[in-house]
Amino acid sequence: MREPTFLILTALAAGPRHGYGITQDVADLSERRVTLLPGTLYTALDRLTAQGLVQPDREEVVDGRLRRYYRITPEGVDALHTETARLRQLATVAEARLRGLRPRTA
Amino acid sequence: MPPTGDPLTRHYRRLLLCYPRSYRRDRGEEILGLLLDTAPAGRIRPTVREAFDVVRNGLRCRLGRPTSRTVGVWAVLTAVICGLFTAAAASRVAWETSRPQPDRAEAAAIFADALPGRSIGQIETAPALFVFYGEPFRWQALDDMLFGDGGEYQPGFASASATGLPPVPVEQTLAVTRQHLRASGWRIYETVSRADRECVSACDPPVALTDTTLVASRGDTVFRMTLFAEGGPNPTNAALEVQRAAPPAVVPAAVLAGLVGGVLAWLVFGWASRRTEYRPGVALPFGITMFLWWLPVLLAIPSLIGHQRAEPHPDWHPLWEWLGQPTGSLFFLIGTVCALIVLGCSAVPRRDTAPLRTIATG
Repeated sequence: MREPTFLILTALAAGPRHGYGITQDVADLSERRVTLLPGTLYTALDRLTAQGLVQPDREEVVDGRLRRYYRITPEGVDALHTETARLRQLATVAEARLRGLRPRTA
Repeated sequence: MPPTGDPLTRHYRRLLLCYPRSYRRDRGEEILGLLLDTAPAGRIRPTVREAFDVVRNGLRCRLGRPTSRTVGVWAVLTAVICGLFTAAAASRVAWETSRPQPDRAEAAAIFADALPGRSIGQIETAPALFVFYGEPFRWQALDDMLFGDGGEYQPGFASASATGLPPVPVEQTLAVTRQHLRASGWRIYETVSRADRECVSACDPPVALTDTTLVASRGDTVFRMTLFAEGGPNPTNAALEVQRAAPPAVVPAAVLAGLVGGVLAWLVFGWASRRTEYRPGVALPFGITMFLWWLPVLLAIPSLIGHQRAEPHPDWHPLWEWLGQPTGSLFFLIGTVCALIVLGCSAVPRRDTAPLRTIATG
């Protein structure tokens, strides 16, 4: 799973979001490292929807502007769990090796 | 947030044209809203990064199949080959702006320039710009063209042979011809010698017999002279040819038609891809099309590159020869039939998904 996909699923894990909400959340989660442009965001949402990891929730018209909300599906939650476990395992291994490295480099 | 209808909105709407119409109808306002929401106040046109992102993702969206990792590659292969075929067809049409192949009088004048004072034999002229077995192409010959003889479709030329040249070394004959041609305004190219036979009985010791070809061009005309070392190292016979070079309209016509053909192919591929997303049966005819359209190209290009490097070419071979056509025209035809099957399947309407419930607030 690529980082933007992981971040989009993580953003939606907190509840349904519309496009603008997702981009803001992704920017916050990544500490402004990842900025999703609209074209990229909707391509990712289309892919995640086709994979059954995300689905449209509802639509609202706010100030004459259409806002469509998306929510994570149970399959999306499972995929996020799996990816989180994978990243945690990798991070744990890397941390252990870095701890072993520190005394020698000090 | 900039108001609707402002220049920025108009720019964004234009960029959104990269997305397919049905997608724009469904999601266009939503994406536009996000673009406007993320634009800082005072911006009047999209940034390059933003525009590239919308165009790239819009063109990708046209291909449908959002989970596919290879659909983009197939779209590029389709657009490139269709662009090349369109360019080749346009270049053939543009060839019609050429003057006819040299007639007997023009050829005789050129040959006399090249070998002044020498006896030139019967001059054969071409009845058309391009000939098939020496004759203008006729639809009655279509089956011959399709079933393996397509390579006989070639540019026409006027030709003659000169005999009884003085038995002097090749370089001496060439030097005289070069001098005369230059004086008449011809541009001379590097001569090419090819040793493909050997003189054994009449030569002691045996020597390789080398044919030497001189190429020259002037305006829209190309001249070739091949000196044959019959029976010994000194040439006494020459083959003379003269033909038209590609007219200036060929390159711009090919480039323009190639671009238009490539873009149209991308759009048609996207339309067919979206409509056949859940119809796996179209993969086979599409795969056959790609194989049969690309195979002659992949075989022809290395061979023509070798040929192009082996001897000087004032004029490149016609584009269709680089695409293996019409030698591989049967492949092209079967591939086209398969492509039409795919398009026929795509024309069958697909089921649309149910629309979402919309709540008006604010």
